[in-house]
Amino acid sequence: MSEEVRMPASPEYHRPRSLEEAWRLLEAQPDARLVAGGTDVLVRLREGRYHPPALVSLRRVESLRRIEPGRAWTIGAGVSVAELLEHRELAAVFPVLVEAGRRLGSAQIRSAATVGGNLCNASPCADLAPPLLVLEARALIASAAGEREVPLSEFFLGPRRTALGPGELLSALRVEAPPAGARATFLKQGRVRMDIALASVAVRLELEGARCVEARVAAGSLAPTPTRLGEVEASLAGTELDEATLARARAAAEREVRPITDVRASADYRRHLAGALVVRAVRALTRPEAR
Amino acid sequence: MIDLELTVNGELARVRVEPGARLLDVLRGPLGLPGTKEGCGNGECGACTVLVAGRPVCACLTPAAEVEGLEVLTVEGLVGPGGDLSAVQRAFVEGGGVQCGFCTPGMVMSVHALLERNPDPTPEDVREALTGNLCRCTGYAQIVESALLAARKRREAREGGDRA
Ligand SMILES: Cc1cc2nc3c(=O)[nH]c(=O)nc-3n(C[C@H](O)[C@H](O)[C@H](O)COP(=O)(O)OP(=O)(O)OC[C@H]3O[C@@H](n4cnc5c(N)ncnc54)[C@H](O)[C@@H]3O)c2cc1C
Repeated sequence: MSEEVRMPASPEYHRPRSLEEAWRLLEAQPDARLVAGGTDVLVRLREGRYHPPALVSLRRVESLRRIEPGRAWTIGAGVSVAELLEHRELAAVFPVLVEAGRRLGSAQIRSAATVGGNLCNASPCADLAPPLLVLEARALIASAAGEREVPLSEFFLGPRRTALGPGELLSALRVEAPPAGARATFLKQGRVRMDIALASVAVRLELEGARCVEARVAAGSLAPTPTRLGEVEASLAGTELDEATLARARAAAEREVRPITDVRASADYRRHLAGALVVRAVRALTRPEAR
Repeated sequence: MIDLELTVNGELARVRVEPGARLLDVLRGPLGLPGTKEGCGNGECGACTVLVAGRPVCACLTPAAEVEGLEVLTVEGLVGPGGDLSAVQRAFVEGGGVQCGFCTPGMVMSVHALLERNPDPTPEDVREALTGNLCRCTGYAQIVESALLAARKRREAREGGDRA
């Protein structure tokens, strides 16, 4: 049986099996768009937001789909969120990634959506970004010319803008396994269960007894890019996380974020959420049963 | 145009399609499987949910070219050889989980995917598995009940020795 179906103008669709093949395609067609899970690209194509002459799919590039344990773990850019959640060993080491992954879209979206796509979208609301920022992940960037590594915090340049240059792609993340005294959590506020974040926060604390020796805080949907909140971190570090500290952390969060008003929420409400989520996260991490 | 060899509901099919053709259009068009519905076309509503390699995906966001070499299961593929409905399908009928029916194939596929992984889900597991499936008729209560009924039917069938 051979039948025909015609679709509205659809670009060329390439399915390279290796990075080398992908780079050759990108060199031949610099305006081609990479596509991984396609959950963002295909929606944007349909909306007519861009008209690339070709799509270069990364789904068949096996090297992008690896998960390698180690002191620093390697998580391939092509790993789907569903695969990430099913990796038991990874889940045990980085429970905060599981918390965030579970809140990303629906089961259908998680089957397709990749870690790399989530980050390369460079959307302020990307759910995997805040946890990876507090884990101080590094982005492995690969091109025909070789590989380079940048801290994830330097990867996001603005809404939909990343540090990737022409011919470059994100190949993997390097994430160090956290020390024993560290724990992290991710909180997201949407309008309904499946929604992109109105605001999200990841907090990672290193505790010695009741004392917080290090605090890392990152936010989503609260600035032009997912971002660390240095003032909030400073307000928490070196304290016993008492009520006065939490009040200062809340105020710091409200001051430090740079949210916008859009159809989902006002900047004021987002600012309020920032403070509330930071406080809620710290409380969750310091509850006796979390210890 | 590109030629693809797809495995849908256990059968091999050859199609010639535009390079970026969506799995949804290939199913409903040349493959003659209109059970999979198009709702939003943006991955939000889940009416087009099918299973690819055992995972639920939105066929509207899946390029047909990506499923070559993978097993695709649609709602038609749940029906047994004699035309018998699957346990999940029967549970939706008996449990009143169907109103206008448009979202039903997607719901059924999401529940099928859930039960393949988790034969004994809690109501919360069911709701979680169905976050990506919208129904505009019901309040979801009977859909969740139908899913739990399906789980029971499948467990009983397994214990009874025959396949659900
Ligand atoms: C219904 C729905 C709900 C959603 N809900 C959420 C949500 O709750 N939270 C959330 O964060 N996101 C959500 N999203 C957005 C999206 O699904 C995620 O951001 C997803 O992780 C994107 O991954 P992908 O593999 O599908 O990306 P794609 O669409 O394939 O690609 C996204 C972008 O990244 C580029 N890209 C992909 N991989 C690479 C690479 N390795 N190197 C360089 N560039 C690359 C592409 O060129 C494109 O610009 C949702 C989307 C939909 C449709």
